[in-house]
Amino acid sequence: MQYLDNYLESKGGYDYTNVKRNELMKAQGFKEMPFTKTGTTIVGVLFDGGVVMAADTRATAGSIVADKNCEKLHTLAPNIWAAGAGTAADLHHQCAHFNAKLKLQRLNLNRQSRVNEVITKLTSKLFPYRGHIGVALIIGGIDCNGPQLASVSPHGNYVYHPFQSMGSGSLAALGILEAKFQDGLTKQQAIDLAIEAIEAGIFHDMGSGSNVDVVAITKDGVDYKRNIRQYNAKSYQRQVPYDFPINNTPALKKYQFDIEKQELSEVGQEMVIIE
Amino acid sequence: MIFNSEFSGQQQHTTQPIVTGGSVIALAYKGGVVVGADTLCSYGSMADFKNVEKIAQVSKNTIYVSSGEFSDFQQVVRELAKIDRSALQYDDGVHPSPRDYGNYLARLSYKRRCKINPLYLQNVIAGFHNGERYLGLVDIYGTYLESNFVTTGFASYFCKAIISNYWNENCTLDQAKQVIRECFKVLFCRDCRAHDVIQLAYVDEQGTHIEQPERVETKWDFSGFKNRANEKLHTQ
Repeated sequence: MQYLDNYLESKGGYDYTNVKRNELMKAQGFKEMPFTKTGTTIVGVLFDGGVVMAADTRATAGSIVADKNCEKLHTLAPNIWAAGAGTAADLHHQCAHFNAKLKLQRLNLNRQSRVNEVITKLTSKLFPYRGHIGVALIIGGIDCNGPQLASVSPHGNYVYHPFQSMGSGSLAALGILEAKFQDGLTKQQAIDLAIEAIEAGIFHDMGSGSNVDVVAITKDGVDYKRNIRQYNAKSYQRQVPYDFPINNTPALKKYQFDIEKQELSEVGQEMVIIE
Repeated sequence: MIFNSEFSGQQQHTTQPIVTGGSVIALAYKGGVVVGADTLCSYGSMADFKNVEKIAQVSKNTIYVSSGEFSDFQQVVRELAKIDRSALQYDDGVHPSPRDYGNYLARLSYKRRCKINPLYLQNVIAGFHNGERYLGLVDIYGTYLESNFVTTGFASYFCKAIISNYWNENCTLDQAKQVIRECFKVLFCRDCRAHDVIQLAYVDEQGTHIEQPERVETKWDFSGFKNRANEKLHTQ
C-alpha cells in the first residue's frame, strides 16, 4: 500500500482528471443534479455556561411535507450536538459517520471529544467536495475549552458566533436573534430565545413548520426536549386497535357447517351471543 | 430582474434598477399609521446618497414612500401630486382619499407591467381618512394589498417575526415606533444595503407628521463577536 501513498503524494492536492470529461458532458446538455435544500430553521445560542440549540421538525420534498416530525438535532458526541439543515440524506449519513469516527477516537485516546476537533474533521471532509455534500450544520458543545458554538457551511466554511441560524428560515430566526440577543443570558433565557427564533421560522417560512426541538448542553449534561412546543397538535387521538364491544352487532341467524358431511344447516333464528 | 429590450434604441424598457432605496416598514397603531424608511440611496453596492428624506406627503392625510429605483419613486411622487392639484382646481372640497391614491398607483404599476416596462418599485401608501386608518402595499407587478402592517424588501424576511411578536394593531404610537426602530436595527446588522439613519412619519386625525431623521443604535461588540478565542483554537 506504500506505493499508493507515494503516488497520491506525488500527484498533489487536487485531482483534475475529470475536468475535461465534465466539460464535454455539460456541452452535450448534461444537467447537474440540483442541490435540494430541505426547508429548515435551526438556531444556536451561546449562554453563560453552555449552549442551546433548537430546530423545527419539518422535512420537505419540493413543496410537499415529507416528514411532519423529523429529528434535526443529532448527537456527534455525548457533549457535542449538531443541528442540521440541507439535504436530509447527507445530514443523516455525515452525522452518523462522524459520530462513529469520534467514538472510535474517544476509545483510542480515552479523551473527551472537542468541538474544534469536530469542526476541523467536518470541514476537511466537506471542502474537497466543493459544496456537493449538502450539509449546513450548527455545531454546539461543551468541552475543556468551555462552551462553543460554530456553524459549518456546505463548502467547508466555519464561523464561531454567539448566535447562529441556518436553513431557509434562517432570516426570520435571525431577525429575532439580532433583536433579542444579549451577553450573559441564563440557560432558561437562552432556551426561550431559541424557541422564539424557531417559532419565527415556523410561522414565517414555508419550508419550516410543525414542532420545536430544543437541546441545552451544559457541564452538568445534556437536556434534550423533543417537541417542546407543538402548534398544531391533534386534539383527538383515535383509539387503536378499535375495541368492538360484545353484542355490538345483533346476530339474525346462526349456521353450522359440518366438515365431514359437507353440509350447511341452520341452527337458530333468535339473537345469539357470539363469543 | 432583467427584461430584454426588443427594440434597442427606439423604445427603452427598464432592465435593472440603478439607484435604489432600502426597505420600508409601516405599522398601524391605535389612531393612525406610522411609516419608517432609511435615508440611504444606494448606487449598486455603493452607499451614495446618505441624507435622502424619502417620505413624501402626497396630500394632507396621505404619505407615500417606496423601495426600489429612486427615479421611478420621484416620478410617481410627481404623478400623485398632480392628482391632488387637479382635485384642488375643482374647488368643491372633495379630495382623494388615501385609498384612491393606492388604487391609482396599483393601476399605474399594472399598466406598466403589462407593457414589460415596470416601475421598479415596491410602494407603501399610508393615510388616515374619515376616522379610518389606511395602509396599502403595491408591488412591482401592480399587486395591491391593504393590511395593518406592511414591509418591503429585506424587511419582509427579517422583520415580519419581530412585528408579529411585539406589535398589535391597537398599540400606542410610541410602541409602534419602537418596533420599527428595532426592525431597522436588525436590518442595519444584516442587510448590506441598509443604513442606520431612518426617518419616521405618522398620519393621524390631526394630519401628517414627518419627523426629522434619527440614528438607530446598534450593538456590534457582543463578547462572542469580539473575543474570537474559539477560532484561535484551530490555529494553535
